[in-house]
Amino acid sequence: MVIRRPPLIAALHYAVLVTLLVVMVGPLVWMIRVALLDKALSISGEVLFSGAVTLQNFADLFAEGSLARYLFNSLFVAAVVTAGNVLFCVMVGYALARFRFLSSRLTFMSIVIVMMIPVHIVIIPLYLICLKGGIYDTYWALILPFLVNPVGIFLARQYIESIPPSMEEAARVDGASEMRILLSVVMPLCKPVIAVLAVLAFITNWNSFLFPFILTSGDELRTLPVALALMQGHQAVDWQHLMAGSTVAVLPVMALFFVMQRQVVSGITAGGIKQ
Amino acid sequence: MRSRSLTAALFASPWTVSFAVFWAFPLLYSLWMGFTDYQLLSPHPPRFIGLDNYRALFSDADFISSLKNTFIFVLGTIPVSTIVSLCLALLVNREFKGRGFFRSAYFMPWVTSMVVVALIFTNLFERGGYIAMLARMAGLEPPVNGFLYDRSTALYSIMAMDVWMAAGYYMLIFLAGLKAIPDELYEAAEIAGASAWRQFVSITLPMLRPVALFIVVINSIKSFQVFVEIFVMTKGRFDTSTVVYFVYETGLQTQFKFGYASAAAYVLFLIIGVFSILQFVLMRRKEPVW
Repeated sequence: MVIRRPPLIAALHYAVLVTLLVVMVGPLVWMIRVALLDKALSISGEVLFSGAVTLQNFADLFAEGSLARYLFNSLFVAAVVTAGNVLFCVMVGYALARFRFLSSRLTFMSIVIVMMIPVHIVIIPLYLICLKGGIYDTYWALILPFLVNPVGIFLARQYIESIPPSMEEAARVDGASEMRILLSVVMPLCKPVIAVLAVLAFITNWNSFLFPFILTSGDELRTLPVALALMQGHQAVDWQHLMAGSTVAVLPVMALFFVMQRQVVSGITAGGIKQ
Repeated sequence: MRSRSLTAALFASPWTVSFAVFWAFPLLYSLWMGFTDYQLLSPHPPRFIGLDNYRALFSDADFISSLKNTFIFVLGTIPVSTIVSLCLALLVNREFKGRGFFRSAYFMPWVTSMVVVALIFTNLFERGGYIAMLARMAGLEPPVNGFLYDRSTALYSIMAMDVWMAAGYYMLIFLAGLKAIPDELYEAAEIAGASAWRQFVSITLPMLRPVALFIVVINSIKSFQVFVEIFVMTKGRFDTSTVVYFVYETGLQTQFKFGYASAAAYVLFLIIGVFSILQFVLMRRKEPVW
């Protein structure tokens, strides 16, 4: 629906859009500006418009060594969780979409219920489970509880229900095992939903703070958000380095978002009940 | 057919196991803990103390103020972020040059990690920070110690940041809702000579009602659990503690009072439950609410 609008209205429209753009993106630009600031320059409003730029803050962070470690932790955990989400959510979604099995209704109900349960309720028991189960402060604690995700199952199930089962049946007649069918027939058919699932899982996990914070204690296993939040608590706030670290934490997801915009948006509008 | 249902159960097992271990059991376990004096570092085993924790909570000034702040947070951000995101959606709904760019730009804050957003705004809200400068330019007197170190502004500053962060996300959901409104409705209204404002009030708003309620539901579930921003920005000082922050403080920070903290978590769980049911009932109603 393209409607020709009078130029005055159109100009006004753009003026509002640009003002909002400054409000919405401004703080992120500010982060990058401070990250590029020379130590000598104090942070004040005028700084935004001064020309001086340095990459020293980033160099400092990497030279110190621990940033590389946090970056690795974030990447490793997010990658494993994403892979797990893709495999398991499609697997469970397939079972729910194609099989009528004992308790399939119950399984589906449990998924819907969990999607609506607030996470705060499991903070303490989850901490205890990890402690007593001997996985507290290990990579397992950062990975195991998040390997299967109800929203992902929900998306996968809906997608699989929309594709005709003829190819699976053909494979079945040919004598393929169910596992084989899942891996070499269903998975390739699910590529679009897998892309959605993977992007959402990666971004969510990369950004998550609460559980990585609670389920680890040492410096060794800190993910980027946890490290940043704790860095700030210490010495007098060193904004240049803090914002440089923040920039490192933000740029990968921004890049991913721009490349995979479609997938992010369709995932959110399809059933993004929970982040 | 027996083997088929076995396969299915096998395929569903990752969820079954995950549900049992990480959801069902913790849910029941913390319900039980709420009725005990469980303390991680205590020498004696947990004892059943009935409703004592719940009674104690409601005479605990810290809990009451956390509860109050949580309600301020939820009830304050819901109308603002719903209206702001609806306005954003309307602004970028129609075809115009650069539409995709503006949409993604407004959505950008949502992709950013909460910790990073909280850090950026801590800087912006500082005493001599950017927002104080803007306030002065607008002729307002910002708090002497910065917005986050003043009881009268701390919580509201965090709420404003939250609206900023979530607006683009709700905008997307509103856009999906706008897309679902059939064009014929507007065409018919056009023929009947209805003004743009009239069309908005009589078609757009009523048709968006389910989407708006959906947004209110997810927003309230999310806002009732506000924690990260409090942890990063104020550590609960200056009257900004919320219930989840209280749970963290009493349960996991120093005292490890699992029983007490679990009871607090359950109080919030019940409140969220009641809220959600209420909203679902509203959603079911046929006649418009507004």
